[in-house]
Amino acid sequence: MRRASTWWLGGLLLLALALAQPSPNTPPPDFSPEVFKIAGQLRCPVCQGESAAESNAGIAVEMRRIIAEQLAQGKSEAEIRAFFVQRYGDWILYEPPVRGLTLWVWLSPLLGLGLLGFGLWRYLTRVRARALTTASDVSEEEIARLEAELQSPERQP
Amino acid sequence: MLRFWPVWVLLLGGLFYWGMQRPNKDELQSVLVGKPAPSFSLPLLAPYRAQYGPEMGIREGLGKPVLLNIWASWCIPCRTEAPLLERFHQQYKDQVLILGVNVQDSETEALKFIQQYGLTFPSVYDGRGRIGIEYGYYGVPETFVIDRKGTVLARHAGELSEAQLRGYIEQVLR
Repeated sequence: MRRASTWWLGGLLLLALALAQPSPNTPPPDFSPEVFKIAGQLRCPVCQGESAAESNAGIAVEMRRIIAEQLAQGKSEAEIRAFFVQRYGDWILYEPPVRGLTLWVWLSPLLGLGLLGFGLWRYLTRVRARALTTASDVSEEEIARLEAELQSPERQP
Repeated sequence: MLRFWPVWVLLLGGLFYWGMQRPNKDELQSVLVGKPAPSFSLPLLAPYRAQYGPEMGIREGLGKPVLLNIWASWCIPCRTEAPLLERFHQQYKDQVLILGVNVQDSETEALKFIQQYGLTFPSVYDGRGRIGIEYGYYGVPETFVIDRKGTVLARHAGELSEAQLRGYIEQVLR
C-alpha cells in the first residue's frame, strides 16, 4: 500500500515536471509555415541577431505580413527575397550570395584546408627525407665502431 | 617559414590596415542612396489636413528637397529630435519640406506627441510601418535626405544632432 502511494506520488511529480517545461519556441500561428520559412532567411532589421521569423517586433510582423501577401499573389520565394534585398541590400539575408567579396566567405574554409594540407605534406616529406639521409650518411667505419662498442665486454651483463 | 618574417609582418600589417579602412558595417549604408526615393501617398494626421489636404507623400513634382523623418511616439530619441526638427522647419519651411512618417504607432499616441511638442511640420500616419520597409528602415528615428529631383542623397539612422541636420539641409540646398 505504502509502496503504491509512493509510485503514485513519483508519477505525479514527474508529470508536473514535464508540464512545467517551458513550451518550445514555436512561432505564433498567424501565418502559414511557408511564410516563416522565408522569414527565417531574413534578418529582423531592428533586432540584429534575430530572424524576421522569430522576432515579434512590429517591423518583423509587418515583414511576415508582406511575405504572406506576396505568396498569396503567387510570387516565388526567390522573388520575395529579392524584394527585401532591393530595399535592404544583401545585409538582410542570413546566407550571403555566392558572388563578389562574399565569394571569399564561401571559399576561405576550402582555401584554409588546402593550405593546411599543403603545409602538412611539405613538413612530412621533409621529415621523411631527413630520416633517410641521416641513416645513409653514417659511414661504414662509424657503424663498425658502434657495433664494436655495443659488443664490448663492459656492456655485457 | 620564419625566414620570411618581413613578408609576414607586411601581410598582417596590410590586413590590419585594410580592416581599419573598411566602411563600418554598423553604419547601415542604404541601398537607396543615389536612387529615386520610392513614391507613396499616406493619410495625413488630423492636425495637418486643413493646410495640406487629406494625403501627402513622396511624388514627382514636389519641387522641393525633402527630409523624410520616420518617427514613433514611443521612441525616446525621437523626443529630443522633434523640437530640433520643428525649429529647422520654422527656419527653412519655404525651401525644404520636412515630412514626418509616423510608424508602428497608435494614432492617438501620435497625436498626443504632436501636441506635446507643438509640431507644425506635416506627418503622415503609417501604422504598420510599411513605408518604412519600402525605404529599408532599421528603426526609429531615421531620416532620408531627398533632393529636388527626388533622388535619395543620404540616410541617417538614429537621432540627428543639430550640426548633422544643418549639414544635410545645406547639402540639399546646394
